[in-house]
Amino acid sequence: MYALEARHAPVVSLWVWYHVGGRNEVPGTTGMSHFLEHMLFKGTPAHPKGDIDRLLARYGALWNAFTSEDVTCYFETVPRDRYATALELEADRMRNAAISLEETEAERNVIVSEREGLENDASFLLGEQLQAVAFSRHPYGQGVIGSKDEIKLMTREGLYAHYRRHYAPNNAYVIVAGDSGADELLERAAAAFGPLDAETPTEPPKAPEPPQYGEKRVIVRRSGGALPIIQIAHHSPRATDGRAAALTALSVALAGATAGGGESASGRSSRLYRALIDTGLATDVDASYTLMKDPYLFVVEATLRPGSTHENVERVIQEELTRIAREPLSDEEFARVRRQMLSASAFMTDTITWRAFRAGQLLATGAARSLGEWYEKTAAVTAEDVRAAAESIFHEKSRTVGWFVPES
Amino acid sequence: MDVRRKALGNGLRVAVAPIAGLRSVALLLAIEAGQWFEPAGRPGIARLTAQAMLRGTTTRDAKAWADAVDGIGAAARLDVGSHAATFSAQSLSDDLGALLELMADAVVRPAFGAEEVELVRQQTVAQIDEDSRNTRAVVERVWRELVYPIGHPFRARPIGDVAVVRSASADELRSHHGKAIRPTGAVLVVAGGIEADVAFAAAERAFGGWGRDPVRAKQGSVPEIALASAVRRVEVVPDKTQSDVIIGWPGLPRNDPRFVAARVTNMVFAADTFASRAGHVVRDELGLAYYVFSTLGSSRGQSPWTVRMGVNPANVERAIAAALEELRKILQGKVEPDDLRLAQDKLVGELDIARESPGGVASLLLEGELFELGPDHLERYPAALRAVTRDQVVETARAFLPPERHALAIAGPPLPEAA
Repeated sequence: MYALEARHAPVVSLWVWYHVGGRNEVPGTTGMSHFLEHMLFKGTPAHPKGDIDRLLARYGALWNAFTSEDVTCYFETVPRDRYATALELEADRMRNAAISLEETEAERNVIVSEREGLENDASFLLGEQLQAVAFSRHPYGQGVIGSKDEIKLMTREGLYAHYRRHYAPNNAYVIVAGDSGADELLERAAAAFGPLDAETPTEPPKAPEPPQYGEKRVIVRRSGGALPIIQIAHHSPRATDGRAAALTALSVALAGATAGGGESASGRSSRLYRALIDTGLATDVDASYTLMKDPYLFVVEATLRPGSTHENVERVIQEELTRIAREPLSDEEFARVRRQMLSASAFMTDTITWRAFRAGQLLATGAARSLGEWYEKTAAVTAEDVRAAAESIFHEKSRTVGWFVPES
Repeated sequence: MDVRRKALGNGLRVAVAPIAGLRSVALLLAIEAGQWFEPAGRPGIARLTAQAMLRGTTTRDAKAWADAVDGIGAAARLDVGSHAATFSAQSLSDDLGALLELMADAVVRPAFGAEEVELVRQQTVAQIDEDSRNTRAVVERVWRELVYPIGHPFRARPIGDVAVVRSASADELRSHHGKAIRPTGAVLVVAGGIEADVAFAAAERAFGGWGRDPVRAKQGSVPEIALASAVRRVEVVPDKTQSDVIIGWPGLPRNDPRFVAARVTNMVFAADTFASRAGHVVRDELGLAYYVFSTLGSSRGQSPWTVRMGVNPANVERAIAAALEELRKILQGKVEPDDLRLAQDKLVGELDIARESPGGVASLLLEGELFELGPDHLERYPAALRAVTRDQVVETARAFLPPERHALAIAGPPLPEAA
């Protein structure tokens, strides 16, 4: 448990991070953690279906849940005087979710609908294929939401077993930020979750990704997208690696702290914005390094402008990746990158919900033990660190290239 | 909430909400230069003008301006909506002056260089092309075409019409900028770790020289819209899995005295996937959609009042029928006291939760400032929401959401009967 004082608004944000996600699944049950996330809103004996939604709505709460490859996470930001209710709801559903057969069947259609909505998006379609090709052994290749067929085959018994195995106090982080002393926030959380029984600890998945020995390529052709897309992924180190902060800076240097293109007016001094947007080769570009438990992917994505070719845009991106791995950023450029990174950190933590999220993300992935420690790590990054981090991951042998090719 | 207000000599109104303990400030500069103020028959000019304003000024070229924004680590964007062109930005508190100066440079002194305008044009054409295969964008376009007649400012999406975008010249953008981008009617809201006097001084330094125009921007005569019957259009978007659906009606101006009741009605009916009746039935009870929500736009005109759903093609008719059935129940007065209380609790509670971030506080303030709802608007607003009665909800639904006169747009794979 971890608490942060945030006194500027009369609210409390409570987050529960379970160490279970796509990474803990095996073929045949992909999407199980995400399916389970939906079922945690379907009631417990103490809070029947609909109770949680209506209770939180009544407080004007900001609430949601998400599942990633690493974790499943639930949060609610509530008025300060409703903190007890938030704690009670989360402690209750940590061990007492009903997960009935009837609700499993009803929710299956909602999840299929969520998947179908994603399939309308060309970027999702390509990203899913790219991830599957980039990982030959590690379960990160399976993604999160699961295949439609596997969602349709998911059983109530399987879901319940998954729930009992992974939803326990000794497999979760509780993070709270809000308008009270940290000690008080923590004591009340301890009182809510302390009485719950621990489970036998689960073994982390043991399928490390073997080395890659050459570039992989994937092409997705569909008419359901008007503009071509390129995604270029390189295997990158886990969040606990000493290069994590420098890789975060690398993503800012390449595409800004906010994705470039469209209405965004920031991030336009970045390398890839200058090379692709200012030159009219692409409409959007992004570069992302994600803090993850296991080695994952550094991904560059660009949407091509009509008239641009995949070959040309890919060449330009590769040239920029090679250049940034070869020469350190100039002092002026590095100062911009550093400022964007540190400002973005302030923007995030000035919102109570995102302050709690960020702390949870750092703790759950092992990137840092506190917001302050992560800030120190990012503030200590040098231009040479950024170059060296780029040099360490941008190799042809660890690269996977994906093209989305629209068909008429 | 401590809010201080000041009007600059040129008419720009500034509202500042200092929040102790924060390192950053959030800014919203809303200029009455949205679709409502767009030249008749030229949809897309407002957005094109706004985007070109980000591509260089008379004192800095596009590269230098971008370097300066990133040099202070600011986040910024400029969006055009139905009412306003809104510059939203965030910076560290110490950089407020520099950020305002950069925003003012783009707003007051854009260069509209030919090459830069061409780049923005090509970007916009590409986005329109991309949108032609995006079911959410297609359904929005189709719905607007069903509801608003040719020439109405809300007929097109803010991105506009591709023919207009292709034909717009730098001179046309410059002319639109001269007429629409001005301080009269504009509002600057600042919230976060800053003292009010410091913010006022910075605003004065940045925008004090923005020329005053005594005449406020006006829209010409816009006819009132009312649907005569139910209208429906299906547009097939190839190779998609899910259908996007909009059921909607022309809404009401933000300054209409019934607007607060309309917001409560919207929440009772469909605003929230989980707290409103349509979402409860369509998602929770029937499992037909992942998302179901409705929005009611704020502008001086009849912005869209729409329910949106993402549905498998096989379930489209059932989901539409279920949503309309919930609406009919409201019209029949079947509004449980708890449905109304829940809607009011949620709308009032959200006001407190929004205070958790400087951006949330700025957004809370903006509507009241932009539509001149009074300096005590935020104090009165919760009570106004709570004062809405069941009869008002029923009456509002009858007046604005007649189920037999809705506009229905569907975009996605072929529907089963047409397959």
